[in-house]
Amino acid sequence: MTCTLGEVKNRADFIVYWGGNPAECHPRHFTKYTLMQKSKFLPRGRKDRTMILVDIRETKSGGAADIFLQIRPGKDFEVLTILRAILKGQHVNSSIVAETGLTLEQMTDFIDRAKKARFGCMFFGMGLSMTRGKHMNSAALLTLAAELNAFTKFVAMPMRGHGNVTGADVIMRWQTGFPFGITFNRGYPRYNPGEFSTVDVLVRGDTDAALILGADPGATMPQPAIDHLARIPTIVLDPKVTHTSRLARVHITTSVAGISAPGTAYRMDEIPLPLKPALKSPYPTDEEVVRRINEAVARKPHWMPADGPMTIMQH
Amino acid sequence: MSLNVIHNATCTFCGCVCDDIELHSDETRIHEAKKACVLGKAWFLNHTADHDYPDALIDGREATVDEAIEAAATFLHDAHMPLIYGLSNTTCEAQREAVSLADRLGGLLDSHTSL
Amino acid sequence: MIRITGGKIFDPANGINGQVRDLCIDGGKFVSSVIGGRTIDAAGMIIFPGGVDVHTHVAGGSINFARAMTPEDHRRTTAFIRTQSRRSGLGGMAPTTFATGYLYAGMGWTTVNEAAVPVLSARHTHEEMRDIPILDKTSCVLMANNEIFLDLLEAGEFERAKDVIAWHVWAAKAYGVKAVNPGGVAAWKWGKDAKQLTDPIEGYNSITPGTIIGRLAQIIDELGLPHPMHLHCNNLGAPGNVWTTLETMKLLEGRRAHIAHLQYHAYGGDDWDTMRSASAEVAEYFNTHTNMTTDAGAVLFGDTVTITADGPWQHLLYKLTGRKWGNLDVENETGCGIVPYTYRPSNLVNSIQWAVGLELLLLINDPWRIFLSTDHPNGACFWRYPEIIQLLMSYDFRKDCMTKLSPIARERITLPDIDREYTLYEIATITSAGPARALGLTQKGSLGIGADADVVIYEEEKDIAKMFSHPRYVLKGGEVVIEDGDIRATPEGREFIVKPSFDPEIESFLKPKFEDVYTMSFENYPVEMERLEHADIRECINGQAPSPPRTAEKEPDRADEGVEF
Repeated sequence: MTCTLGEVKNRADFIVYWGGNPAECHPRHFTKYTLMQKSKFLPRGRKDRTMILVDIRETKSGGAADIFLQIRPGKDFEVLTILRAILKGQHVNSSIVAETGLTLEQMTDFIDRAKKARFGCMFFGMGLSMTRGKHMNSAALLTLAAELNAFTKFVAMPMRGHGNVTGADVIMRWQTGFPFGITFNRGYPRYNPGEFSTVDVLVRGDTDAALILGADPGATMPQPAIDHLARIPTIVLDPKVTHTSRLARVHITTSVAGISAPGTAYRMDEIPLPLKPALKSPYPTDEEVVRRINEAVARKPHWMPADGPMTIMQH
Repeated sequence: MSLNVIHNATCTFCGCVCDDIELHSDETRIHEAKKACVLGKAWFLNHTADHDYPDALIDGREATVDEAIEAAATFLHDAHMPLIYGLSNTTCEAQREAVSLADRLGGLLDSHTSL
Repeated sequence: MIRITGGKIFDPANGINGQVRDLCIDGGKFVSSVIGGRTIDAAGMIIFPGGVDVHTHVAGGSINFARAMTPEDHRRTTAFIRTQSRRSGLGGMAPTTFATGYLYAGMGWTTVNEAAVPVLSARHTHEEMRDIPILDKTSCVLMANNEIFLDLLEAGEFERAKDVIAWHVWAAKAYGVKAVNPGGVAAWKWGKDAKQLTDPIEGYNSITPGTIIGRLAQIIDELGLPHPMHLHCNNLGAPGNVWTTLETMKLLEGRRAHIAHLQYHAYGGDDWDTMRSASAEVAEYFNTHTNMTTDAGAVLFGDTVTITADGPWQHLLYKLTGRKWGNLDVENETGCGIVPYTYRPSNLVNSIQWAVGLELLLLINDPWRIFLSTDHPNGACFWRYPEIIQLLMSYDFRKDCMTKLSPIARERITLPDIDREYTLYEIATITSAGPARALGLTQKGSLGIGADADVVIYEEEKDIAKMFSHPRYVLKGGEVVIEDGDIRATPEGREFIVKPSFDPEIESFLKPKFEDVYTMSFENYPVEMERLEHADIRECINGQAPSPPRTAEKEPDRADEGVEF
């Protein structure tokens, strides 16, 4: 259950941010999309909404919250599971509650408020999806949101960080069926995060050339992954000479999305928006460079024999 | 000197992708990014249209874009298991081309999401 | 230039029923003669106009959400392998864009109507449609729950409401207007529904679903859109909803309308235990009211994933099945829900749904007004159409299939009593000529001079499903795209759109309203023309509804003996 940000702006009277710090990472999230906006249904804006912040430490976003729930690091899954138990009226063991850093009263209050809301929304950030439990945490939060629909309207949405990562996700889905972690090594798309995801592939040494664009893994990935990028021919497209460029065999400078390169970007709620560049770059766009590499590869022999199968049934 | 003004420009710095930014720019840089947040302002104002970096580098030496494209195509074509990775700070149009290239190469394709 | 010789032509748009004629193609269209070029020997083969799907979900946020929710299905389905000239793809319940083109063309369909496009993500839908090769496309934009529009109806400002609709159709670069559960989706945003035509709508005082349906049909007729209002009625999927459906049809008297996936709206009974088929009541009314067309929304047993802009129905399915549930509400406009689902013959409700889809196709006696659809992927995936064709053409096959149903299920349906068998001429009508006509696409669904040269050539054989699954040749715009089971070419398709007229002043009215409720800039909202590849703007006749649906005349005698199916 998710929705576009406008639905939150227009309707959400109960908003939870879980493991995210929008005040510093998405500064206009409160003002443009969620908390501060007035609407037909919430004429008093901020006064008509309740906001709960859940995190392991108090951040700048805490100042905007009505209630701050500080949980112990790594206890997200436990807290979410207890909240689901409370929602279903099940007994909760007090020793488990004690480990979470919250009291039963705080959690019961959370559920009471959630049930009383007309329209609730939970945003979750990397503090939930990238800590102990990872996708199990996100799944638990999504399940809680689904179950709250037995009482009221409730949605959940991830707070996506990096620029147009949503666009990559959406396009890969329609062209390959999968959002990331894909291989075409049998001539059609297959998906297995953990096997085909980049850090794992690099640490295992399972790739012998890399094209990097719109990212700087040389600055962010674990050292064994970076070491492998330095061993193989790596190609970087970037507006700057990056950490990764310095260990690459090829670097091509490209123009900047939305500043000097036109095109489209997807918002975190999968709404596509047109880019309107203000500057004229001396460099080509990523689009142009990748297209020309694609054309150059097309002039070479195709890796799969022409008399191979056209379609197969997978087993 | 008069500045060029763009209304409802789109900021791609974070996942909010705000599209109500008013940009004031001259030939080389953006001087003002109205309505943008602190992160967005820094993003818009830090980039210029100057030729600050070499067009391309091959093994650390300056090269033309044509040479670099040919070298990239050869490396990727020669590899048994090429990887295309990243795709965050770029346009959908470039992302579509990148998926197409991975498909042609029979390689790996992944984004920031997997991190 | 291509000449197709010796084939038996089934071309209902031109009243040709199995006569042997040559077809000549030049410049992508049928012409009276050609000199030179390729000759395809179709002696003994059966020739249909390319299939037209009036209602499917192949591009946009919701089907793309379904792809994300079904990775396990992608792993067990048909894979299209990358070649030097052709992109790879995956089939299955929610095929990738490239595979969508290959699979539709592979069974002879060449035009599809994407039936549900939220204005806010229309840009996304068009981007995906560009990546569906071979097929020509149209799309319908969702308007019946748009709150700016509803506010105008509430205020009684009809002319302005009309301008708002026209502006949105053009902004979305759409071809038609879809209404989904009018008033009910708006209410769902508060977790409520509007099931009956006279139900008040949460958040409004005077308007009801009935008001919205009547006004919207009137607006679309007055704007002269080539396709009438494409209506997904209220109360989808619920036992007893036949009364809502009949009330809706009565309300539409004197107006054009296309009623989508009628199967989901033709149930009797009071609850899930007493549910029964009400297709006979619906068909009886429909047969005598020629202002409407419909598509079957037929169900086949097996796995699929259900997606619809009808959020309340999806939540109900989730509660019934306890399976994965995704819901996506779009600000101010619409919402959608997504649930993977398996239709089983052992399940009473599913058995009734299976029968109702077929009953409607068999009891509605005018093939120019009911069309083949499964509301892909909701009732079944589109690539299973040949199975439905077999069910329609063979009473014996239907009887075999009905042995799988429980005795209780057989008492609740009328299918066992219907012995009608479709002719090839009727199949060509419900899969091509009829839907093309309902969409107002005059150059489609016809093998006549001047029409687009979209042709399917089948080798006649006794196994009907096999024959319709594996055409010998498929031509799109005069180009051979399928031959002997191989994909020979993957040309880009066209997109048909309309530009209804509106008072340009409507923008200054809309802008502040828009900025109140939306989170994107008004100026960034309309889809730019240059994003569409090969756009083709079709005529609207302002102030005048195009002619009502064509109705069946007597089927011409078939010219040949043919195989006994």
